[in-house]
Amino acid sequence: MLQYRHLPAEHEPDCGGHDAAPGKAPVFVPPSKRFLELREQPSSNRSLILGAVGVISFFGLWELGHYLTAVSGRKFVPSVEQVAAALYTLFADHNFLRDVAVSCRRIFISFLAAAAIGVPIGILMGCFGNVRALLNPTLSGWRYLPATSFIPLLLVWFGPTEQAKIALLFIGVIFFLIALILDNTMAVPKEFVEASLTMGASRREVVTGVVVPAAMPAIFDSMRNMIAVGWTYLVIAEIVGAQDGIGAVMMRAGRFLNVDVIMACILMIGVLGLLTDAIFRAASRLLFPWNIERRS
Amino acid sequence: MRHASGIITADPDPDAAASAAHPPLRAHRISKEYLGGSFKALDDVSFELNNNEITAFVGPSGCGKTTMLRIIAGLEYPTHGRLEVFGNPVVGPGPDRGMIFQAYTSFPWLSALQNVEYGMKFTGVSPQERRERALNFLKLVHLEKFAGSYPRSMSGGMKQRVALARTLAQNPKVLLMDEPFGALDAQVRWEMQELMIELIEREKKTVVAITHDIEEAICIADRIIFFTRQPGRIKADIPVEFKGGKRYPRKEELIKLPGYADLEHRLFAMMREEIKASSET
Repeated sequence: MLQYRHLPAEHEPDCGGHDAAPGKAPVFVPPSKRFLELREQPSSNRSLILGAVGVISFFGLWELGHYLTAVSGRKFVPSVEQVAAALYTLFADHNFLRDVAVSCRRIFISFLAAAAIGVPIGILMGCFGNVRALLNPTLSGWRYLPATSFIPLLLVWFGPTEQAKIALLFIGVIFFLIALILDNTMAVPKEFVEASLTMGASRREVVTGVVVPAAMPAIFDSMRNMIAVGWTYLVIAEIVGAQDGIGAVMMRAGRFLNVDVIMACILMIGVLGLLTDAIFRAASRLLFPWNIERRS
Repeated sequence: MRHASGIITADPDPDAAASAAHPPLRAHRISKEYLGGSFKALDDVSFELNNNEITAFVGPSGCGKTTMLRIIAGLEYPTHGRLEVFGNPVVGPGPDRGMIFQAYTSFPWLSALQNVEYGMKFTGVSPQERRERALNFLKLVHLEKFAGSYPRSMSGGMKQRVALARTLAQNPKVLLMDEPFGALDAQVRWEMQELMIELIEREKKTVVAITHDIEEAICIADRIIFFTRQPGRIKADIPVEFKGGKRYPRKEELIKLPGYADLEHRLFAMMREEIKASSET
């Protein structure tokens, strides 16, 4: 009954005729909407406001936590402005931008490598049952090995080098990435494949011309989700024998009980994560304009 | 797959293609068994299609009509038998047998125009001619205004019209339709049936269309092949004689023809028989 409100005027039932009063039919007044309304999409303005309320409440609770802590312990629960000041000092006096850049580079290289290997493997597994049967048992096993358990091994092999860190991020991402891309590829409707076969497409054309473009938006989504996992492994990778990077800065701060710096770094990683997410989303919209959901 | 196609290709007739005496499609003693022969989807089915004739495969659910169509398309292989298109053995899918699916198969990443052009890449049509032909066929299915639109913004009926244009633009020898209007609502379905009759009249195609809708079968078909269930056999091969060799895009004209009700009655009775038989086993 709510949708009555959205009907244009000419769709309103015509009550003129027999015994109805002349003029327009009475306006239908729908029941007022509640906050927890089913099937309700908030307007973009409203979404913005609600989102802002959420963020402000979060920082408010944090601030409250700071002032509710006994004065002697406040150093360990810094306020929002103390953390913001710490973040500013990091950038202004300690060349934090360089650490951020180093961390971003590690994420970028390891993820590029994981995608360059994982995406083709996932697609081949999704297209060909024999490849799937060959690789899936091994790769599924690898998914259950915690990436962190490779740290000692990587340290023995590479020492506390750049390779060791990138390898850890790579291991943490690739096996899940392959599993997701396998699913994305297999989710391509089999009628797409059959339709192109009946039109005379070769196997290569079916894979490159049908399966890949059909699966690409979902693959892109999987990559966006997996780069988030990469960010979660970053600190672990940089805790072990790193001189630079956000994780190393955090570890050093921890040694001197500089909680404000640690929290500033955590905040920074969160911001960078959100940024990568936004970049992926924007790129997806640009690359796959045909896939943009239109609200009817 | 390889050995299965070997069975079909056995004993090919070298002069087959040259001879005009061959029917557009000949199915000879086709059987399809699953589970090592314990389940027979098709049992010794033989028929020939006639040139420029629309044949409807009708039968209850699970009667093997879809399996038969997929075997003709080359998407599945028979366990026994032989299949020829104008005398050439069928060894797999190919553009000589265009297929329209019940599911929407217009590729969502291509515009309507690109979708129609797509199939012609494989039949050796030059890019320029592809564009011309695609525009022409879009016009035939009344979608010329939507040439640049993506399927996402189209209704089900529009998507099926794109699929129809795409398949016809390839100029297949045989057009296969697997319940092409099954997912559409009644009114769109009716419009699509009329459009299909007009298009087939114009393009002069040999067509096989699957339907479990008896009214639809009578409306579109020149000939109806009725399949039984488990095992799938041909129960009846019925020429739709009351149309007198004509096709009627307008359903209201068709329904008032003498003979329409008789045929409908006969098909419903057969359907009842099959449903009853399968519920007794």
